[in-house]
Amino acid sequence: MIEEKCFSAALLDGAKEVFETMVFMDLEESGESAPQIEGDSLLGSITFSNALEGCLAVRCSMSCAKIVAANMLGLEPTDEISDEEIGDAIGEITNMVMGSVKSRATSEAAELQVSIPTVVRGQNMANSLGEGAGKVVVTTSPDEEHVIEFSFLYRRSGS
Amino acid sequence: MSKSLMIVDDSATMRKIIMRTVRMSGLEFERTEEAGNGVEALEKLSSAPVDVILCDINMPEMGGPEVVKKVRELPACADTKIIMVSTESSQELIDGLISDGANGYITKPFTPEKFQEKLSPLLN
Repeated sequence: MIEEKCFSAALLDGAKEVFETMVFMDLEESGESAPQIEGDSLLGSITFSNALEGCLAVRCSMSCAKIVAANMLGLEPTDEISDEEIGDAIGEITNMVMGSVKSRATSEAAELQVSIPTVVRGQNMANSLGEGAGKVVVTTSPDEEHVIEFSFLYRRSGS
Repeated sequence: MSKSLMIVDDSATMRKIIMRTVRMSGLEFERTEEAGNGVEALEKLSSAPVDVILCDINMPEMGGPEVVKKVRELPACADTKIIMVSTESSQELIDGLISDGANGYITKPFTPEKFQEKLSPLLN
């Protein structure tokens, strides 16, 4: 569907812009042989509403999240970084990617009202919007060891 | 002349990131302050105004738009420059903030060059 392709491109381009600018990492779309996100991980989510309703999420392992936070703060991954700071960093990444998607996708997306991001920690986490919802998932590799998954779940309001 | 800066954002991590980015931009401030929301910012400003405020929009207790209005009511902050820093990019919102007294807007994600571009003219 054209709409899904549009959101997929906006999601990938938005994520790349945020990571290049704020995390100083180049994101590449992952190939099929990319590792899975296993074990302890973080899921940053932000919901939106208006013509479309749904959520955008960012998911990665704790070790990856720590690298992201360290880069954003100008620290080394071996430096002491609290879980709160790591979670905060992923929340900000989620917020900024949503902002970038809004400015890149359809004119409807530009008018979306967004929530404050939430970040949860656990294993095998996933967002769901129920049957019939559109779903776009982009998996990226900031380095050879890690994978960051960006997902955009949506449906027409009132549907 | 020494310059002072306040960063207002409900995320402590983002406040650190903004501070780091300001340093990377080459801009120097003799005094820096932080506040987690508008209420805290106004409390600090009433006793120690600053030259520049970098302010988020979506914050608990008091958000950026109200901060702009309240700061413009403070005689001690008559010369304070207010730059909004946010992911929000609605032109209507930006125009409203400028109309209420903000001096500029920086969208997240941001670069050191963007801070240099927006702040240098205001500081000179």
